[in-house]
Amino acid sequence: MPKYYFDDFRVGQVFDTGPRRVTKDEIVAFARKFDPQPFHIDEEAAKKYMFGGIIASGWHTAAICMRMSVDGMIKDAASLGSPGIDELRWLKPVRPGDELKLRMEVVEVTPSRSKPDRGTIRVHWTMSNAAGEPVMTMRGLGMYARRPKAA
Amino acid sequence: MVISKEYFEDLVVGASRETATKTVDKDEIIEFGREFDPQTFHIDEAAAKQSIFGGLIASGWHTAAMAMRLIVDTFVRNAASTGSPGFDNLRWLQPVRPGDVIRVRSTVVEKIPSKSRPNLGVVKFSTEVLNQRDEVVMSLTSIAMYNRRPNKT
Repeated sequence: MPKYYFDDFRVGQVFDTGPRRVTKDEIVAFARKFDPQPFHIDEEAAKKYMFGGIIASGWHTAAICMRMSVDGMIKDAASLGSPGIDELRWLKPVRPGDELKLRMEVVEVTPSRSKPDRGTIRVHWTMSNAAGEPVMTMRGLGMYARRPKAA
Repeated sequence: MVISKEYFEDLVVGASRETATKTVDKDEIIEFGREFDPQTFHIDEAAAKQSIFGGLIASGWHTAAMAMRLIVDTFVRNAASTGSPGFDNLRWLQPVRPGDVIRVRSTVVEKIPSKSRPNLGVVKFSTEVLNQRDEVVMSLTSIAMYNRRPNKT
């Protein structure tokens, strides 16, 4: 039984998760598959770019954010997927060895008009590094089933 | 031979182009799902059949990552692009399933010269991921920083 149905979310509710350490090997492995630009995959070449060393692909940071969201909340919830993300900003580079923490805050709770068995929540995500600097923020949606009525 | 770089000045508002295609592989869907988005409809074929999606579907972030790869292979290698501050209005519109053949269509929608840094400009693209039936499965407004063409001396 999921712990969180749509009915259990409230505006202002906060879920904190992490820290999660990001390794150079995983940065390079992700980028080789999905974002093979020199500053994500080649340490020597990366030194010549503005970041001065290897940084994670922004899409990798987003994928890590997703995993931390699952570990921190969604695995316990009646998730029906997501319609999308309103806004995402990559604010600081994520580098090998960074320890990332994630805060998810529920900012809106909207029951579906057409489908009474579900509803959508809008969440503001803030991912921060060990120095407490936000590295990525995101505002987006999650769809959840409503708690089944007791028979 | 010197391949000429594509600078801010070279992008034309309204111009549209497409990447090569990528066939979505079931094992890749499960591998990505296990690592980054372990919800049953991304990692467990039998359980996914019982879900609202009726079968295994790719994590939306996997679709985004596959789109990035198509964009890198087709456009970015030659672009005088210096990265991205983010994106707006991403929508996952249709499930992406094993065997689907996806491609990206990218249209320049806005060019904004930087006021503070005369060597840079911001370009916004309407980015659409299409499947083999030409359905838009994902769309977003991408934002990229581009270098301006250096003055000839």
